[in-house]
Order: sequence, then structure tokens, then C-alpha cells
Amino acid sequence: MITLTINEKDITLEKPVTVLEAARKAGIKIPTLCHHEALKPFGGCRLCIVEVERMPRLQTACTLLAADGMVVKTESDTISKVRRGILEFLLINHPLDCPYCDKAGECELQDLVNKYGPTTGRFKEEKRKVPESHKDQIFTRNMERCVVCTRCVRMCSDVQGASAISIIGRGSHSKMEPFSTESFKCEYCGNCLTVCPVGAILSRLYIHSFRPWQIDKEVETLCSYCGVGCSLVAQVRDDSIKRVIPKIGLGLNKGLLCSRGRFGYEYINSAERLKMPLVRKNGELKESTWSEALSIVAEKMLEIKNTHGGPAIAGLASPRCSNEDNYVFQKFMRLACGTNNIDSISRTGFAAAQKYFEDLLGQGITANIIEGLRNSETILVLGGDPSAINPVLGLAIREAARRGAKITVLGNAKGLERFKTFQVVPSVFKEADVLEALLTEIYNTRGLRNENPALDRGIRTLCEKAAAKSDMQEVRDLRNILLGSASTAVVLGMDLLQRSDGHKALFAVAGLIYLLEARLYLLSEKPNEQGVIDTGCAPDLLPGGRPLGIHEFRRKFEAAWDGVIPEKEGLTLLEIINDASEKRIKALYIMGENPVFNLPDKPFVRGALKSLDFIVVQDIFLTETAELADVVLPALGWTERTGTYTNLERRIQLQHKAVETPSGMEDWKIISEISSKMGYRMNYSDSKDVMAEIAEVSPLYRDLTYQEISKGNCLWPYNGEPLRGEISEAPAAVNITKEYKDDFYLAVEKPLFHSGTLSRRAPALLKIYPEPALKVGMETAKKLELKDGDRVQFFTQYGSKEAFVSTDESIKDNRVYYSNNFKNNGVLHLMSFNMDNVTKAPGLEGCEVRIKKI
Amino acid sequence: MFNDSVLNEIEGIKAKYPDRRSALLPSLYIAQREFGWLSHEAMQYVAKTLNLPEAEVRGTSSFYAMFKHQPIGRHLIQLCTNVSCMILGAERLADMLVQKYGLQPNSTSPDGRFSLVIMECIGACGTAPAMLVNTDFHDNLTEKRIEEILEGYK
Ligand code: SF4
Ligand code: SF4
Ligand code: SF4
Ligand code: FES
Ligand code: FES
Repeated sequence: MITLTINEKDITLEKPVTVLEAARKAGIKIPTLCHHEALKPFGGCRLCIVEVERMPRLQTACTLLAADGMVVKTESDTISKVRRGILEFLLINHPLDCPYCDKAGECELQDLVNKYGPTTGRFKEEKRKVPESHKDQIFTRNMERCVVCTRCVRMCSDVQGASAISIIGRGSHSKMEPFSTESFKCEYCGNCLTVCPVGAILSRLYIHSFRPWQIDKEVETLCSYCGVGCSLVAQVRDDSIKRVIPKIGLGLNKGLLCSRGRFGYEYINSAERLKMPLVRKNGELKESTWSEALSIVAEKMLEIKNTHGGPAIAGLASPRCSNEDNYVFQKFMRLACGTNNIDSISRTGFAAAQKYFEDLLGQGITANIIEGLRNSETILVLGGDPSAINPVLGLAIREAARRGAKITVLGNAKGLERFKTFQVVPSVFKEADVLEALLTEIYNTRGLRNENPALDRGIRTLCEKAAAKSDMQEVRDLRNILLGSASTAVVLGMDLLQRSDGHKALFAVAGLIYLLEARLYLLSEKPNEQGVIDTGCAPDLLPGGRPLGIHEFRRKFEAAWDGVIPEKEGLTLLEIINDASEKRIKALYIMGENPVFNLPDKPFVRGALKSLDFIVVQDIFLTETAELADVVLPALGWTERTGTYTNLERRIQLQHKAVETPSGMEDWKIISEISSKMGYRMNYSDSKDVMAEIAEVSPLYRDLTYQEISKGNCLWPYNGEPLRGEISEAPAAVNITKEYKDDFYLAVEKPLFHSGTLSRRAPALLKIYPEPALKVGMETAKKLELKDGDRVQFFTQYGSKEAFVSTDESIKDNRVYYSNNFKNNGVLHLMSFNMDNVTKAPGLEGCEVRIKKI
Repeated sequence: MFNDSVLNEIEGIKAKYPDRRSALLPSLYIAQREFGWLSHEAMQYVAKTLNLPEAEVRGTSSFYAMFKHQPIGRHLIQLCTNVSCMILGAERLADMLVQKYGLQPNSTSPDGRFSLVIMECIGACGTAPAMLVNTDFHDNLTEKRIEEILEGYK
């Protein structure tokens, strides 16, 4: 216990903190400039000086640890005089162009000078001149306004880990600069923008377009891009989003954002937004009215249900939509349409992986909080680059690295290049073999855990096969690292399972987690992949993860819903597509998804969709899939509606409405109207009403209210009990032997700056990453004599494409990457797929690629 | 690019410190020795060799006056004009360098032979005026002695 006096107020502290923190806790303000809550104490600007009894000189409160018996004064004539002096020095070279500066009104320097003076300067010499830099597409840098507090640099290197900028020069010539304009290793997180106290770093998205005090309202909401679920603040003026800023301390991201969250919001104002329902007439999509469109959908769906039966109907839910939307969607499918054929694009990754792991290890096995990564001793990263897929989760891994954790990487992970301590790069498509070898090594050293008989049996059988023995030194080294670690986390990206025998890799990972007692994190590319599962948008699960196959559960839901749930489990995503192509499925209802673009083998998927009798698509844009639909219904987008999202840690959070839009309807509302027309009545007054029902029927979200969620920290299971699955036997592995002879393999790039449907309409993200390039590793570049900017044509057996080459040192194997995020410019259509019969995820096939310089 | 012996030298430096950032200043010094000055490419190369961020390398190197960020002549003259040297005629010596060799302070002679930097006290006040040519130290300078000395640097 420490007791000190600040401005004659006695303060008692539980644990030692700085004088600045102690004062702030007691409500005493000390001015600061170089200090920032998100950064470590620096002690550079000296504005926070205080007088401390029995200490000879003025002390900087931001670096001084409070000690027992200290007597501190934060304001006095001397202190004011010194502060004024410091500010006068800072203004020597400052252009004093506040009337023109965007920061005016929220500038820390302006506020400080306002409070402490000076009113005039005594400096007569020329001020230094540094022209404002507009070279970057996103940031304007005005280094005449820079006060060299180094907050941006510390943010960029100590927190973001990008180290893209630094202070150049010395003394009055110092300024913040990137290494050079050509080589700006910026991740465009904009976190430097958050911390710059003055108008030295500005965002070109809104420069000179409004003054900070002209904002009508601020709405705390969630990012709509990925499964991390970062909190952010949308600032609104005249019913349009002016900018997105984080709030220090708010949400699990604690004020950090990534490029997509911060700069990707403009798609919401895109001119391409759907405004009116579209109905196909004489082969063409024509604008229509809501009442006509909804009636057509209801009639047609009923007709198909009555002629072909419910199972001829299928629905795709959406990890981009809220829990409320998805809950209502599955209810509509099951009760109004009479089908369990409900799945989502998540089956290509997250949902497939989660089901596999939960079947083996029990429900909730992936419910681990991101914060926990920071304190792990060892982190094993595989199947993707966390810093690109879930950037803010990636920051936790980088932070762990800084704290001394061992970051081990299997395969390529660009964002961890400077943070990894150990890397194994398996040959292409041999990932599962390496994982099995690793599991065997660990089994041989540590043995079984004897807690999960099915898994124990599976591991023993696998590991005792001689074939799985490894002669790789790297694998043994990795084993030693993992065995020596007291707390291990495994971060899994979905690339690993997109093989027709992807389940083998998953089994090995499950074995590793089990034997090492490690925590598992599944990277999640879309904001509500977990919510889709939790609300029952799966062919085999009712809300709350309750298996459909268990009679008891089905009866409970039937009673609650007052309807009949079909008994038979439904089809998964690829099975639905397949059955559509074979005309067993007649109607497909798609909410917020674009399977034509987001699944491999576009001709097949397109063909399957075209052979349907009826397609309905709900979306905010006319996607490649919507173009095929019979009816297209415009939904509402981010900040236009309220709803809950469940992130990859299974944290339930609220996305708030911030603006009004004249067109479009909430997804759940569209569906409930159609459902009512089809004879299964739904009348929810708002999304809160839907949540009230979820909280009543879903054992996972029991008694959950918006009010509770707003407080934060609603983690799964909320008030309910998770359901531990009964595992009798690990699913048998399917052996697929295939020799890959080609030298190079095409893979899907998961870039930091894009995510697909939304990001490709976000102008800022398109400026940062305007067009995809073929990313090749250094070895590949050498073999093919390629250099940056070369134009090539690449061929798979399904087609070819031209692209520019971009070399990338982080690609260590002979994969070449191309993004599937841009309009009319994807890569999945150059591949085919073969479903993994265990996980039901698509195994990407036909990735062998030839590359020709042109 | 560094040759193998230079790379070994840098490895040796890296081995001395627990943190590779500590090897940055000596490595920059070596790069300057090898390439004459620190171009962007040279800094990038040092960054890569030490696996440090490029921006950090540039930030660090730009702080130090001893690191040159522009090409310099084959030989670097660092002439002191601080108090003792000034009293004993250093400014005349600087003028003479301009007239005789076309060497303006902070620039390079037209033939690329010399670059001149005016220094603050280099700790030779007792035997002022003084200068450094590359790493060689020369004191008790006169115009004539400078000419003789510079003859040794072609
Ligand atoms: S945007 Fe992010 S990565 Fe880029 S300079 Fe700022 S902090 Fe660094
Ligand atoms: S640019 Fe802003 S944050 Fe960076 S050093 Fe200058 S004033 Fe500080
Ligand atoms: S990490 Fe994900 S949720 Fe967070 S800002 Fe980036 S895209 Fe949005
Ligand atoms: S805030 Fe304490 S020294 Fe800058
Ligand atoms: S003044 Fe020139 S060496 Fe000291």
C-alpha cells in the first residue's frame, strides 16, 4: 500500500503506478504531450513536470513512480512558467496555421497553449520549412506542425510492430518520416493517426471536409470486417459517416484498429448500393416494389415446397449478418420452408474446423480470449497469416513476441516475419505429414493424456504407424520448443483444411492441442462466423449448438417455436451446390453471400445456380451471385441497423445503427415478412425483440439483453451451459494419395487490405491496394527469372490470367499467391474443388500452375 | 553488397550483443567504410543484414553527423574552426581550401577527391589548428603543411 499526497489530497494506491496515473485516478489533471495511454512512458516533452517535496528539480510525472509519503504539487508559478517556456520552444518552428489545420478543435498543442501561453513568441529568426507531403494516398504529413513527441513512432514500432516510420534528423531539424516513399512498409492501421496530438498526420479520407466540432453524433459500434470484432466510433454529420475513429480503452481492441476497420467504411456510401428490390422479368432484373417482390418470393417458395417438398429448398446464411438475422433465417428455413438445408460460406473454413474440433474435444474448445495470447509462452501459427486475416489478433501475437514468447510458424506468415522465432516450411500440400510427424514426436516423448478415450485411441493408432515417424530435425526442434512451454496457444488459419484430406491436418492439430493442453484460436475472416453457428445456421445444429439429431432438443424448440422442424439433417454448403446441379434442390435462398465468386470452380457453381428453379438473394450490392437471382432484395448495411455479433472468442457484441437510409430493409425483417406470407407468422417489432427470443430459446445466450451486451464482456456461454459433446470415436481419416509434380502452386492470397464484397467498394482500401498482383517468393522469382513489375500469364488446367509480379520475401515455398477480392478479377475460378468428406470443406484442387513471362 | 569477410565481421558484432539493435551503429559504420556513404540502398542492406526495420535504421543513422547521407569525395577532411583553432588561423586555412582545391565547406571538390566538413573542437586545442583526414589526425597546421599533407591523399 502506497500513500501519497497530490495537491494536498491524500491518495492511496494498491500497486505502484506513476505519479501521473495516480493523479488521474484521483481526478487531478496534469498536462501531457508525449504521454499516451496506449504507449509506454517516454518522458520526452517535459510538460507533465510537477514539484515533489525533497526532490531537487521538477520531475516528470509520467515517468516518476509514486512512492510512499511523496508530497506532490501539480500547479505552481514555477511550473506554469516552465510549461510556458517549453511551449514557446515548441512554437518556434510551428507554422501557427490553426485556422487551416484539420486538427484545430481537438489539438492537444492548441489546448495546452490556450491554457499555459505564451501569447507571443520572442523568436525572430526564420521558421524551418518542410513542405506538406501528399505523396501518400491515405496520409498527409505536415512536419512543420510536428512536435516530435514520437507518439506515432512508438505506436508504429512498439504496438503495431510495423516500424514503418521513425524520427529523422536531429534537434530542430527532426521530423517523422517513413523510410522512403517507395519503400513505405506501412500497414495503414492508422494507429499513428490516433495518437498524433497535433495536425502533423492527417487522413486524406476527410481532410478539410469538416471541423471536429461539427459532428452531430458519435455512435459506438463494431467493425464489420472480420471475426475479431473491434469496437470503434462512427462520427456522423448530416446522416453520413464522416470518419471512423477508435476510442482508447473501448472494446477488446483497446483503441487499436486495422486498415479495413479504420479506412474501409466508405463502401456504405457506394453508388453501387442496391436501392430497390429487383425482380427478373423476361430474363432481366428489373426494379420492382417491396410488396411485389416479397409476394413473388413467398408464392414461389410455397409452390416449390408444395410440389417438391421442403428438402428441395436450401438456404445460405451469412457470417456478415447479425445473430438476429441468422436466427430468423434458420427459423424461416426450418419452419416456413420445411428444410434443414441451411449452411453458410463458413463451411469452407471456420464452421468446418470448429465442428471437427468440437466433435473431438467438446463444445467451446475454441472459446479463448485474444488477450490471453499476449501472455502465452509459445504460439504455434499455422494455415495463414494472423496479421492479415485478423489484424488486431495479430497484434496480440506480436506483443507476445516482444514479451519473449516463442513464435513458431508452420508455412508462410508475412506479418510475423520479424517476430517469429522458429519456422518450418513444409513442401506444398505436405503440411499434414509434418503435423503428424510432430504429433508422433510429442506422443513418443510425452505419451497420452488418458482423458479422452476416443482421441487417445486415434492418436495412438496414428503415431504407431511407422510411416508417421519423422527424420526432420526441424520437427524435433519444434517438438522441443512446444514441450518446454508451460502455456501454448495454437492459432489456426483455414488454408490448412482446404484440402480433400484436410481433416488429417485437423486431427493432428487436435492431437497437439490435447497433448500439449494448448488453447486453440481459429482465425475468422468474416465478422459473425461464430454467430452463424450459434444461431443454428447449420444443417445439423439448432440454436445454441444443440444437435438436431437429438429428439429432446428438437421437441423443445418445436414447442417454443410452435412449428415442425424437419427431422432429417440437412445438406452442407457444397452438398447444396452439388444437389442444385443435379436438380434435387430447386430453390436457393441466399442471405448476404456471394458463392459464385467465393467458391472455387466458378463454372460449376454458376451452372448449379443456373439450374435452380428459383434463387433469392439478399444483399447490399448486386454481386455476381445476385446477378443470377430471380429476386434480389436490398438489405441494410453496417451502421444502418442494430444487431449483435459473436466474435471468434465468442464474445457477443452490439453493432449500432448510426444513420438512416431510405432504401433497404433489415435482413431479419425481410425474412419475417416472407415467412408470414408463407403461413408461418413472425412478428418481431425490432432486433431487440429477436434477441429476446434468442435469449429465451438458446441455451447459450440465456437471458442475454442488449443492455447487458452494452456493458461489454458477454462471453459465451452467457448464463447458459455449454454442451459437452459425447465423443465415441474419432472420424476415420480418408487416405488420398496423390503425387504433385508441378513446380508451382496457385494459392489464394488473404491480403491485409481487403476482404472481398465490401472492401472492393471501399475507395481508400482500393487506393492502398488497387489491383492484385501475382505474389511470388524469392526462390520462385529466381527460378523463373522474374522481378517486380514483370508481366506474366499464369495457367491452371481451368484457364489463365495475366498479372504483374510482385516478389515477396515472406513466401518461402513454391506457392504463388493471387487475391480473390477484386471485382471481375478473382482466382478461385482457376481452381476446382473436391469436397473433404469428413469436414465437408472444399479441398482446393487443380492449383498446379504454369507461369510465363510476357 | 558486403563480401564474406565483411559479413563475418558483422556476424561477430551481432554475437556480442543480446539485442541485434545494438549492432546497428557499428554495422552502419562498416557500411560507410565499405560504400563511402550511406545511400538508401546501403541502409536497406544493413536493415536486411540485421533483420531490423528500414525506418529504424534510417532514423538512427540520420541522427549522427558522422554518417554521410550524400556521396562524398575519396577523402574526407574534417577541419576544426572552434575557438583555439580559429585564433590560430583556421579560417584562413578554410579559405585556402576553397581557393586552391575548390573545396567549399560541406561540399566535395569538383574532381571528387576531397570533401570538407567544418568541425567543432576535436580536442587538439594545445596543438591547434587541427584537422582529420579520413581517420588520420594532423595538427599544427599551416597552409603549406596542409598542401604537403594533402599530397599524400590522391
Ligand atoms: S498507419 Fe500504422 S503502420 Fe502505417 S505508419 Fe501509421 S502506425 Fe505505422
Ligand atoms: S507526427 Fe505527430 S505523433 Fe509523430 S512525432 Fe510528430 S507530433 Fe508526434
Ligand atoms: S481486426 Fe478485424 S474487426 Fe478489427 S478493425 Fe480490423 S477488420 Fe475490423
Ligand atoms: S508527458 Fe511526461 S514528459 Fe511528456
Ligand atoms: S578548438 Fe580546434 S581542436 Fe579544440
